Amino acid sequence: MQDTSGDSIFIPLMSILIDTKKVFIIVPAFNEYAAIKQVVNDLLSFQYNVVVVDDGSETSLYSLLENLDVTILRHPVNLGQGAALQTGIEFALSNQAEYIVTFDADGQHQASDIAKLLQPLLNNEADITLGSRFIKGAYHNMPAKRKILLQVGRRLNYLLTGILLTDAHNGLRAMNRKAASNIQISENGMAHATEFLTQIKKNKLRHKEVPVTIHYTTYSKNKGQTAWGSFRIFFDLLLNKIFK
Amino acid sequence: MNGIQVLLIGGVVVIFLYYLSRFRSAFFDLLILLLFSMLAIFFILFPEYTNDIAKRLGVGRGADLLFYICILFFLFILIKLFARIRRLEKTLTDLVRKQAKDEAQVPEVNRDKN
Repeated sequence: MQDTSGDSIFIPLMSILIDTKKVFIIVPAFNEYAAIKQVVNDLLSFQYNVVVVDDGSETSLYSLLENLDVTILRHPVNLGQGAALQTGIEFALSNQAEYIVTFDADGQHQASDIAKLLQPLLNNEADITLGSRFIKGAYHNMPAKRKILLQVGRRLNYLLTGILLTDAHNGLRAMNRKAASNIQISENGMAHATEFLTQIKKNKLRHKEVPVTIHYTTYSKNKGQTAWGSFRIFFDLLLNKIFK
Repeated sequence: MNGIQVLLIGGVVVIFLYYLSRFRSAFFDLLILLLFSMLAIFFILFPEYTNDIAKRLGVGRGADLLFYICILFFLFILIKLFARIRRLEKTLTDLVRKQAKDEAQVPEVNRDKN
């Protein structure tokens, strides 16, 4: 879980520039029991404001996260990751968040990468930054099969949104207040990743890709997207193009 | 009247009565349904008329014409239902989101710090 890449220089630098309590980390979680506590603890060690959105998990995550300095929003029923993100974003905006980060609950993202994502926002070079596994400086231990799937995914995204990224579906992103208030996620399911791009285009937001480190574990692989899941996403997108 | 005609007319009448008992207040819906029911009964009793219409539209048999219309009709229903499910989903999402935000659980430690 601990990251060893040498970007620690960002963190002291950043804490001077911004109040990390104004950085809200949205962690959508549905039945994520194994890794969630470690993920939240990692995030808290950077003094961020952590918001866990429990998307109708069978047993509430509250007991797991007791005594931790974290806000828990619970959907009484499972709606999907897109819906959980939107709930978290709205909560953060109404609580004076300056920067909002989306972060996966399965432990594949690194808390130390957040500083890298925030840097372009602080420099006012971008309104939203997206983590990428495929640009210079990124690290991942991804199975080859998934790599092909993602290559197809990013081209499909390009067809649907007109934005060609180096990576397709990566849950790690950071936005400033402007981007967060403009982006409205209405795709409750996993198709929200494409919707982010649609909204970037529609609202003329400046976006930038940032290399991130992704650690695939057996656990996160099992929780992650399957080929069938990707097909479902495509079907969702197609239907919603028709029924907008 | 032969067996299949009795069966079909019986079906149309039952469906009409069912709607009548459930949606008594929707007057125009019932009027349209009554019109369709009468039309259906007419064509069940005199199926040769459907052949005339079909020939005029360039379809061989009345039964084939009916089949094509049915496909279109069911597609229309499918789209209507899908749109309705989407609307329901949106309502549910809004409700759930509102409740989640209203009932945000902030642990004691957090409150002390702020």
